[in-house]
Amino acid sequence: MWTNWQPGSTAEVSPLLRRRVSFTAGLIVASGIAWILNLILQISLRASAIYSGFFLLALVLGLTLFNSRKKLPFLPLVRASTWLQIHIYAGYFCSFVFLLHIHFSSPRGALETALAAVFCVVIFSGFFGIFISRFLPSRLTQSGEPLLYERIPSYRREIQEKVEALIRKAEIETQSSTLADFYLGELRPFFQSLPSAFGALGGIDRRSFRLVRKLTALNRYLDDAEKAIAAELRDWIETAQNVHFQYAAQRLLKLWLFLHIPLTYSLILLAFVHATLAIIYAGRL
Amino acid sequence: MAEESVRISKPRRWDVPFGKEMTEADVELLMNQPPFNRIDESKFPSSAPLRGVLLNDAQLRRFENGDIVVREGDYGSSAFFIVTGAVQVILDSLPARVLGRRESQKKSFFQAVAQLWGQPRYPEVRNYAQRKITGTATAEVKVRRSERETSEVRIFLQDVPRILSENHTARLEAGEMFGEIAALGRTPRTATVIADGRTQLLEIRWQGLREIRRHAPEWKARLDQLYRERSLENHLRATPFLNNLPPEAFKQVFDTTRFETYGDFEWQASYHTGDDHAPEGRLAKEPLIFREGDYPDGIFLIRSGFARVSRKYNHGERTLRYLGNGQFIGLEEIASSWKRVKIVPLQNTLRAIGYVDLLVIPTGVVQQHILPRLRAEELQRLEIQPSDEPTVDLEEEISTKLGPDMLEFLVDNRTINGTASMLIDLDRCTRCDDCVRACASTHNSNPRFIRHGREMNGIMVANACMHCVDPVCMIGCPTGAIHRESFQGQVVINDDTCIGCATCANSCPYDNIQMVETRDRSGLFILDEVSRTPIMKATKCDLCIDQLGGPACVRACPHDALIRMDMRDVDKLATWINR
Repeated sequence: MWTNWQPGSTAEVSPLLRRRVSFTAGLIVASGIAWILNLILQISLRASAIYSGFFLLALVLGLTLFNSRKKLPFLPLVRASTWLQIHIYAGYFCSFVFLLHIHFSSPRGALETALAAVFCVVIFSGFFGIFISRFLPSRLTQSGEPLLYERIPSYRREIQEKVEALIRKAEIETQSSTLADFYLGELRPFFQSLPSAFGALGGIDRRSFRLVRKLTALNRYLDDAEKAIAAELRDWIETAQNVHFQYAAQRLLKLWLFLHIPLTYSLILLAFVHATLAIIYAGRL
Repeated sequence: MAEESVRISKPRRWDVPFGKEMTEADVELLMNQPPFNRIDESKFPSSAPLRGVLLNDAQLRRFENGDIVVREGDYGSSAFFIVTGAVQVILDSLPARVLGRRESQKKSFFQAVAQLWGQPRYPEVRNYAQRKITGTATAEVKVRRSERETSEVRIFLQDVPRILSENHTARLEAGEMFGEIAALGRTPRTATVIADGRTQLLEIRWQGLREIRRHAPEWKARLDQLYRERSLENHLRATPFLNNLPPEAFKQVFDTTRFETYGDFEWQASYHTGDDHAPEGRLAKEPLIFREGDYPDGIFLIRSGFARVSRKYNHGERTLRYLGNGQFIGLEEIASSWKRVKIVPLQNTLRAIGYVDLLVIPTGVVQQHILPRLRAEELQRLEIQPSDEPTVDLEEEISTKLGPDMLEFLVDNRTINGTASMLIDLDRCTRCDDCVRACASTHNSNPRFIRHGREMNGIMVANACMHCVDPVCMIGCPTGAIHRESFQGQVVINDDTCIGCATCANSCPYDNIQMVETRDRSGLFILDEVSRTPIMKATKCDLCIDQLGGPACVRACPHDALIRMDMRDVDKLATWINR
């Protein structure tokens, strides 16, 4: 405590980098072992798909434990960040075991195709989740004032009320309808609408950029008082642009889980049906 | 038929007296003996008469030989007056096992699991029917029950003669007082005190002590004198370059050290004033202790509070670091001027951040008693080359480690006060609110923080209790419900004794204490039987003090974006920010 900085202290390897390296090494080793075991089973003419299938099912069930851990914050379980890392790398491993299970070929029959499709959607939604969890937070920070998702609707209303008050003021003070007409035609739909969640991935600022350009083009019809109000309107467009981005990005960060988690449960259900049928047809029941 | 909501009488100060067994007869006895018989009762207001203070804010406690009265490091909020007998103050630190330390009571594994189905459906549910006031935890080492207070368990030292012979001690006798430093200064106990034979003590919680100090001038003078004397010795002894001084040199330092106070002790009142956001205005308002270029007239040692070290930078001032309890400034300049013709002036400007208590050891005493006892290499390390420009190595400053803008932000917002500030790395945070949900799950279905707050360079200081070094929220709590947890020092609220007055919530400069309306299990508000208004309680983050595994918010974050940071640990903070 109250320690003084020790210049020249040796730079240490970041714990996060160390964790990433050890997890990647673990993944490579585990994949190698799985591949060798599968090869041994195939060479010894055993039903390797039965073993890899059950192993895959166990892995998928294990992956769902991450969501269960989130519901038990009061238990002294390992930190959620460690669970997430395990979840991600086990997910990569699961994809490799899946490829081993289907012998790197296309699925056959309706059930197998449906199962494989659901598996792929779950896996790719997971990859997508990783991507946006890494990509969007820094952009949210850079976008402007951080906003709580739940407070965005009231914040939007507040902005719209302030802009409308500004437009009324412009009309009364300048006896000109240029800004009011522009508001009704262009700005009101912008302030009233909310962007699609996927807008957070790019292009969400195009609309506000166009609006600012159009507003600037109106300058030739404005007197000095109106120009001052137009400058304020430009600030409000930028503020609303931040609100739109915050809304879209935070919505996307929540929405992807509504795909990933329900589909995981569908996957487990289909996998149980598939396993039961496989065992029956293999003559083991 | 509609359900009837629960109605109880609104909790008030002195509903729960400090000592359950303090009687009117005890108060009468005290009032007939010095020093209480010399206090003018008429100077006390009718809302807090002296007899009321003694009856409700004090308790008589009896101790056997060797009983530990207070332990070094504990956060106490009461002082002790020796009625009969004597105590020994052990000036050296005793090992934790000797003091019978144990961790605060946490939930058992099964109690933790039971939270899965035991969570109420509504937030802030209280069950007054099944309520029982929790007592002090028992210790694992030698314990005994007091004669009178049958529910109280005490730790005692077995081999008192050996401990007394092996350590430096001071004996205090009847009529003397101790523990006032921790009680009034919101600091940990500085020494362990044990009973020397059969001893009767009057323990006064700081709310009562404050009342007596306010209305009895002779007590104020005595308390201030004690506070200064004892605090000075402890601080000087804890200072690295003073702890090896021979007794006569130490006495010289002790006798000549000046006390200086800058700023307002209740600084929180001015924290939210208008020019909070203008750095120039804020700097101008901070009381100046010394200015860059001044003659170094002593070593400035921080006793409590914080100070900002800054240096001129073009047309403004750049903050280089902040100083807290135990840190000092000015030694380098005095050492560099020693035995030289040319005097090296002070290299930086020092200002009080809110409030600061300083000890100043005069230059002459430093040169005569401290510098001659430093080793040559130590003196060389302190050397500043005299020149026209300041030459202190900026690489060594906190501003270099954290970044100047981050340091200015932390100092300006007084986030440096936190021992467990909630920092969120916004470049990692996906706004999933898992931290908020985890907090609600472990705290009566209502999160104890808001994932929102001031932000700088992608680091947010969330609105969560920071468990401050200087917890101003504790000032004015009439019942002592908000207190320091002994040993680990978390600031927690005892829900049983909180009367919902909101003093703590209003005092917290960071708005980290929320007043909540309590409900019964059916979701109806619990009402005051007189005013029919909901019973309010103060709530805040308690760092999951009763949960296994520590703060749930930290453990629940899947992206390692959230941390509870002790802002005094600058290296850890810098490592986390720059990871």
